[in-house]
Amino acid sequence: MNIAWKEIKKNKVRFLILGSIVFLVSLLTFIISGLANGLSQDNAALIKDLPEGQFYMNKDADETYNLSRIEGDLQKEILIKQKDAAAFSIQMGFLNDKDEKQQSVAFVTSTDSKLFKNVKQGEIILDRSLKDKGINVGDTLTNNQFSGEFIVKGFVDQKKYSHAPVAYINMENYKEIYRVKEMQLVFIPGEDSSTEFTGLQSFSNKDFLNTIPSYNAEQMSLNMIVWFLVVISGMLFAIFFYMMNVQKIGLYGILKAIGIKTSTLFKMMWTQMLVITVIALIMSIALSQAFNMIAPEGMPFYLTFETTAQLSIVFLIIGFIGSTLSGIQIKKIEPLQAIQQGEA
Amino acid sequence: MTIFSLSEVRKTFTNGEVEEEILKGINLSLKEGEVTALVGASGSGKSTLLTIAAGLQPASNGQVIFEGHNMAAMSSEGVRKIRASKFGFVFQFAHLVPFLTVEEQLMLMLDVSESKLSKQEQKREVNRILTSVEMDHRKNAYPSSLSGGEKQRVAIARAIIHKPKILFADEPTASLDSKRSKDVMALIRDLTKTLNITTLMVTHDEEMLSYVDNVIKMSDGMVLQNGV
Ligand SMILES: Nc1ncnc2c1ncn2[C@@H]1O[C@H](COP(=O)(O)OP(=O)(O)OP(=O)(O)O)[C@@H](O)[C@H]1O
Ligand SMILES: [Mg+2]
Repeated sequence: MNIAWKEIKKNKVRFLILGSIVFLVSLLTFIISGLANGLSQDNAALIKDLPEGQFYMNKDADETYNLSRIEGDLQKEILIKQKDAAAFSIQMGFLNDKDEKQQSVAFVTSTDSKLFKNVKQGEIILDRSLKDKGINVGDTLTNNQFSGEFIVKGFVDQKKYSHAPVAYINMENYKEIYRVKEMQLVFIPGEDSSTEFTGLQSFSNKDFLNTIPSYNAEQMSLNMIVWFLVVISGMLFAIFFYMMNVQKIGLYGILKAIGIKTSTLFKMMWTQMLVITVIALIMSIALSQAFNMIAPEGMPFYLTFETTAQLSIVFLIIGFIGSTLSGIQIKKIEPLQAIQQGEA
Repeated sequence: MTIFSLSEVRKTFTNGEVEEEILKGINLSLKEGEVTALVGASGSGKSTLLTIAAGLQPASNGQVIFEGHNMAAMSSEGVRKIRASKFGFVFQFAHLVPFLTVEEQLMLMLDVSESKLSKQEQKREVNRILTSVEMDHRKNAYPSSLSGGEKQRVAIARAIIHKPKILFADEPTASLDSKRSKDVMALIRDLTKTLNITTLMVTHDEEMLSYVDNVIKMSDGMVLQNGV
């Protein structure tokens, strides 16, 4: 007989309270994690969308891509050897639209590559968020350091860098604006990380992301909140089950007296934990995914099913640990305690 | 025929620094199918003796022999198995499971005793027992909606549904009025006789002694008198 389920049915309110706490905490965790991902996407989608590979910057650059200059000859050599490799540069800057309104953008330029948009001189491709700011295909944009004009050729989805929309421009135009001859970085896609070049330091995608100022700090604090919430929910489980178990000492005693195994009592508790957590998680997953779809345009919110699934599993494990820890007292209950306690 | 016996059972409780011997070498035996009453002054050790006999707490010394095996030497899992399938208990309070209906209480007990009956047969058995304690009309009720006497009758039904060899009862009628007490006593006697269950029962109530086969009188942790 499923006494775990019978108890839930009879004590709906009690379990509903526990369930709604789990629901709220997990929902909050999903939302914060969605924001963390959203912000990281907003901060570095340009880099995050690249396939796994190796980034190279100058050893003297002190792990700051902005200071890195890749020697022209070396770059040529690498690009000849590695067919898929691309040299590229990123610089924050401004574009003026036809009303002389300034838009902050991240200028990106690269050698011929499928990984980046390549445009002709005087052309520009922008992140779609600028379209919402009133810029259209065919518009002309200017830059204070640039002698010519940019004609908007099109828009791309979700290409952000350092919380600014990306603007792909031609390498010659880039060199003029920033008065440089060299590119900052070389990217070689592929799992092989062994390739070394003299004078260059290599970074995996993740390592490179962490060299981006602000990215690291931002992600660290958000992830800390997420893990705090996970730990807190584990403690909530432990405390709640502890309180319920204390109230049920008499019941457990009597069940033990009539010969129910302690392991059966644990299974009963785990079943209840599982039922409540799964229901609460299903609801908070549904709600956070709905939020994912209806989140306002300006809010960087990005929650994948993968992240949700990972967090859900963590919640289940934490719930299991919390309830088990509080359940250890069940082991100690003597049947006699209940009988001597009186009316139950 | 003796089915259950205690030999030289002692129980010592330690209260802080004071060691107190509550049971001072108890010898007794129960004959199959008979109802034995345990009487004596308050504090003489009746409940302690009963719970030791029922395998709910260990003796400090001595042997508890059931069907030829010494329970005092068994593992707690071995004792649990005996409690689940061979013993039944009724206490002063019914101690029913609050979230199960009357019917479910009995079904649970059949589950615990690993009954071989099919679900259908179990239900029929439950109905039969509930009819005999006159509780069949309340089989879907929860304990909170039952009167004290009704709860006690359900507790008795639960104690015998799995056809235990021995029924232990500690003042099963103490929470009931005198009319109800007599009904419950008569019920225990009738049921145990028809099912051939051996009964050991603690009682304070002289009136109840007319329903029993043997009386064992206890005083200060010792058996004073063993007879009718
Ligand atoms: N767990 C325990 N720890 C310490 N002393 C105990 C314990 N259980 C019982 N005692 C003591 O053992 C003595 C006998 O108790 P017991 O409950 O067996 O008496 P009783 O004959 O059932 O009395 P009553 O008729 O009042 O129920 C009492 O003095 C009691 O205080
Ligand atoms: Mg007593």
